[in-house]
Amino acid sequence: MLTPDERARYDRQIMIEGFGEAGQRRLKKARVVVAGAGGLGSAVATYLAAAGIGWIRLVDHDVVEPGNLNRQVLHWERDIGRKKVVSTAEKLGQLNSHVEVEAVDETITETSVSRLVEGCDLIVDAVDNLPVRYLLNRVALTRSLPFFHGAVHGFEGRAMTVIPWESACLGCVYRGAVPETKFPAIGPTPAIIGCIQATEVIKHVAGMGRLLTDRLLVYDGLGMKFSELGIERQGDCKFCGGGREEK
Amino acid sequence: MSIKVHILPYLQYHTGGKDVVVVEGNTVSQCLDDLTRQFPGLNAVLLDSSRKLFDYVDIYVNGESIYGQGLTRPVREGDELHIILMIAGG
Repeated sequence: MLTPDERARYDRQIMIEGFGEAGQRRLKKARVVVAGAGGLGSAVATYLAAAGIGWIRLVDHDVVEPGNLNRQVLHWERDIGRKKVVSTAEKLGQLNSHVEVEAVDETITETSVSRLVEGCDLIVDAVDNLPVRYLLNRVALTRSLPFFHGAVHGFEGRAMTVIPWESACLGCVYRGAVPETKFPAIGPTPAIIGCIQATEVIKHVAGMGRLLTDRLLVYDGLGMKFSELGIERQGDCKFCGGGREEK
Repeated sequence: MSIKVHILPYLQYHTGGKDVVVVEGNTVSQCLDDLTRQFPGLNAVLLDSSRKLFDYVDIYVNGESIYGQGLTRPVREGDELHIILMIAGG
């Protein structure tokens, strides 16, 4: 049930045809893990909290540095040196006290990833490196959790939604590895991609619209255009190839 | 055969800021040859010493990946190519 406060607060989205109170109740019941409290994480967590996602687990092991402030907008000057998850949870709590936020100051590793997504309905990929994205993609498949991918580089961004065993996964798009180097970033790019991820999460939870599955959305901020590339499940994908039974 | 190649921001440094480049070729490989002839800086980013795409690069023809088809995939007048490099920032 929604309280009178919640009805008032979410009035504008409850007005959306097909969303209604039922959609809001679904958001309230949802349990979401946001992996990464940086540029993408700031945007996606803000809009999920504002929309009334009931429970958000933030996972990140970093502390706030001056070089984060151009894009990681939930971290402010006063937060330099603080844990990112603590800084993020504090802001989200002030934004929406109806939302329960769990801050997990931990590194996502092969041994921790399964525990870190325990009890969640879906995973938001807001991390800053490919190996951890692959770990999240794998655990999403093994636990059949929808996976909302986003990535940025300078003025360029990507987003894709994975419904495990139904749609193409991250391994069907990307093969191999990229060197782990400091990447260029301008604030609006993760904001745009993070907002797309948040939109996808809300649509999925509310059961509305057409998800960004089997499609990679590519954002070009310099040309100011979006492209959509078709992604097919690959039989030789090292994550989902061969089907669920063989994993 | 004139083919449009879409260049994303990551690579536009090598094309002098151009986001669309027209190349000539009957296959993806020939298009890449013409692209790297026009913009030699792309060679080291896209192709290894044996002219194979690095595994972090994928080519899409009209929005569909050529993965599994190889660079010999034919292209036709009006086809559009996207060059996609893996990105990982967050």
